[in-house]
Amino acid sequence: MTALLEVAGLAKHFGGVYAVDACSFTVAEGQVTGLIGPNGAGKSTAIDLMSGFKIPDAGTVLFEGRPIHGRAPHRISRMGLVRTFQSPREWPGLTVLENLILAVWNARREGFLRSLRGPTKAERAATTDQLAHAREILDEFDLLGLRNERAGNLSGGQKRLVEFARIRMAQPRLVILDEPMGGVNPVLGERMATAVLGFITAGTSVVIVEHNLPFIERVTDSVVVMAAGTVIAEGPFESLRSNPAVVDAYLGEMPSYDDVDA
Amino acid sequence: MIDQLVTVLTEASIFAIMALGLNVVWGWSGDFDLAFYGYVALGAYMTLVLTIGPASDPTTYIFGLSLPFPLAVLLGTLSAMVLGLIVGAIALRHLRGIYFSIVTLGAVYVLSTFASQFVPLFNGYPGLSGLVDPMGDFFGIDYASYQYFYLGLCVVLLAAVLIGVTRLSGSRFGLALRTVREDERAAAVFGRDIYRLKLKAYVIGAGLGGFAGGLFAGYLTAFNTSAWSPLETVTLYAAILVGGRGSTRGVILGVAVMVLGLQEATRYLPEVPGHPDWAPAFRLILTGVVLVLFIRFRPQGMIPERRMRDRTPPGSSGREAEVVAGPQPVTGPALDTGAA
Amino acid sequence: MHQALLTLGFGLVAAAILSLSALAFTLEYSVTNVANLSHGEILTVGAYCAYEVQQHGGGVILSGLAAAAGGGLLALAVHEGVVDRFVRRGIGGLPTFIATLGVSLIIQNILVVIFGGGNLGYQVPQGAPRTVGPFLWNDTEIQIIVSAVAITALLYVIIQHTRFGKSLRAVSQNRSLASVSGINAHRVAALTWVLAGLIAGYAGFIYAESLGTLSPTFGFQYFLITLTAAVAGGLGRALGTLVGAVIVGIALEFFGGYLSASYNLAFAFAILSLVILARPRGLFVGGRRSVFE
Repeated sequence: MTALLEVAGLAKHFGGVYAVDACSFTVAEGQVTGLIGPNGAGKSTAIDLMSGFKIPDAGTVLFEGRPIHGRAPHRISRMGLVRTFQSPREWPGLTVLENLILAVWNARREGFLRSLRGPTKAERAATTDQLAHAREILDEFDLLGLRNERAGNLSGGQKRLVEFARIRMAQPRLVILDEPMGGVNPVLGERMATAVLGFITAGTSVVIVEHNLPFIERVTDSVVVMAAGTVIAEGPFESLRSNPAVVDAYLGEMPSYDDVDA
Repeated sequence: MIDQLVTVLTEASIFAIMALGLNVVWGWSGDFDLAFYGYVALGAYMTLVLTIGPASDPTTYIFGLSLPFPLAVLLGTLSAMVLGLIVGAIALRHLRGIYFSIVTLGAVYVLSTFASQFVPLFNGYPGLSGLVDPMGDFFGIDYASYQYFYLGLCVVLLAAVLIGVTRLSGSRFGLALRTVREDERAAAVFGRDIYRLKLKAYVIGAGLGGFAGGLFAGYLTAFNTSAWSPLETVTLYAAILVGGRGSTRGVILGVAVMVLGLQEATRYLPEVPGHPDWAPAFRLILTGVVLVLFIRFRPQGMIPERRMRDRTPPGSSGREAEVVAGPQPVTGPALDTGAA
Repeated sequence: MHQALLTLGFGLVAAAILSLSALAFTLEYSVTNVANLSHGEILTVGAYCAYEVQQHGGGVILSGLAAAAGGGLLALAVHEGVVDRFVRRGIGGLPTFIATLGVSLIIQNILVVIFGGGNLGYQVPQGAPRTVGPFLWNDTEIQIIVSAVAITALLYVIIQHTRFGKSLRAVSQNRSLASVSGINAHRVAALTWVLAGLIAGYAGFIYAESLGTLSPTFGFQYFLITLTAAVAGGLGRALGTLVGAVIVGIALEFFGGYLSASYNLAFAFAILSLVILARPRGLFVGGRRSVFE
């Protein structure tokens, strides 16, 4: 088990208040890692720092051994780390199929002169393959019938699925999912769990931030617990139930999920 | 009658090139650029100072190189692109929404002030003149038939621009710009350098504006500050909005409606004694009304931007089936992009 | 008298006019979150109302009242006819901004149709200059400064010490929250626009007085300077706007004294661009932000 992502001593403050401070943890390759903690623990800031949307005041983030802290979001994405946001960020005016096709970034094809010249034969063939692949993924998510619909017209749950499908299309090395169950009908829980595990099968490791602890328990291999901007515990979910620091941080919220071996 | 038609069609072709350029910036990339007419003006001024002879007293202006018209238009286009690069590099770095619009509005007013006040540049308020029938001598065209030649030239160049713009619009470059317009963060998350993409679009737009400006100078034979107000851009926005923001065919339709249609519809307005400005003012009032009504009731315009439409039957691999683009009558692109 | 003090005196007059215009703009922005591009036309219409009254033999006071009334009516019309409809439909800030640009074009050209596009002279008896403290002002300039200070003070009292002011602050903080707590947000917004219109209309009148001329586009050009002051002070912040207006007003007067006044607009925008680029939230708020922060 090698570390895909190593966060060490990360810190970010806003006007003197530390949102994240001395935050260190690692994410293993081929696993689903949960990132949990009470509101205001600094999870969202930590994600922003890892994905380049905020610049850390101190600390390092190594992705596959290479430093990525302070880099621009698109550079981090090109290295293979992709994230989602608390509310779905589909491209609302584009169709579902376009949302998938455009999840694949291609420096050469998106160049100005190359685009002016028109697609080459090889590029046309590549597009056809991409479309076929996109259809397969959409079929897997039961979205194929909606492929020509504008993504902005979908329901909240469907938008989440489009986001998941987009990431499957992009095939990054690591995806950070920011509260994927937020605003999603709980009926879809099992489906979302399958989708998260599907990333692992497709070769994408997962970091997942989520308040829904049963969901975390269901999908994660290990969990990082944050409170007051720093990591207070790390390990498999079961091992954390008895951890007094974790129980403390959640103010007794945690044991309520513990209905098996009280 | 024929003369009038030739005049109107020439103007419409030039305006169509401008509108296509602005559509790259606003329609594809999503930036409400109020500086746009500055690039048109710069293209026109540069074309003039490069084609006419050296300044003689009391006029003063730079260059005066008597260059051939096509070369001057090319250089005018390039200078508009350089100016676009400078303004865009500053304004697009951190600014979105109304802040971007305000700074570009500022940029164009600065330009307009300098053009009218700083006399050594483009002869100040009286402006420049003296570009008569460019390329007419070269092709041996007499005065009477020159207007047909120039109309033909403008139409051919518009067609060339149309081909290029249509290609770009549906290309990966064009689509990448649409992702930036639709959601910047998501575009960045999927690898797009939004600053560079927006800047490229901005410079392309400025270039088309400068190019159209050069043609405009050849058509008007002269250019000065009273020939353009920074708010001229609004007419172009109205045309884009009416036709369909982001849609190439829509922009052409919009120019037809807002330039050809409105011009012709108001041509036969009765003269009002003592109010010489009344007809153009009435046209601008209508432009404003159209702008407000379309934003409110039909922001996607008359021909909405084309969307990819996949007609492959579910179940088949799709490798042999075609993907056709067609207009999709749902809603237009979200008008509000970026932090307003 | 020292040249700098003299210039400062003129600067204070310019700042007084600018303060009223910028405060009105800020009021409009604060309750609807819309940067009203037709704000300048409220000044223009106010000035034309004053002009008409003067043409019919009205005095300064009647002209000022007519300007305020015209501005208030126009602001109400723009709010009810366009802005509020957009806000209530949830149409975002930028499209509404574009719509107000359309409104600006409409009003400017209606004025062109009625009054013609050229400049009209607006002459009022200015009185002889006299020494007021360290400054040299004539009657009109004293009227401008005194009335601007009085209006600003009155506005402060309205915002801070009346029930309406409390509702206004609540709506500007969070419109939906204010609605939930029983405030008629639409009414408050409409009244705020009327208030802003009264002030802007009057500002148009005193601007015409100090300029001595008016035209259908004079408000729009002045709006660009207004915007500089409002953005420098931080969009939607009344106190910041006031400080921004005073600084910009005085700075422009000094600048105009040393270079040609025709560059004023360009200079104002140079300031504005620098402020927006360096401090998008205004000069008086700390911190920088990236596109994503």
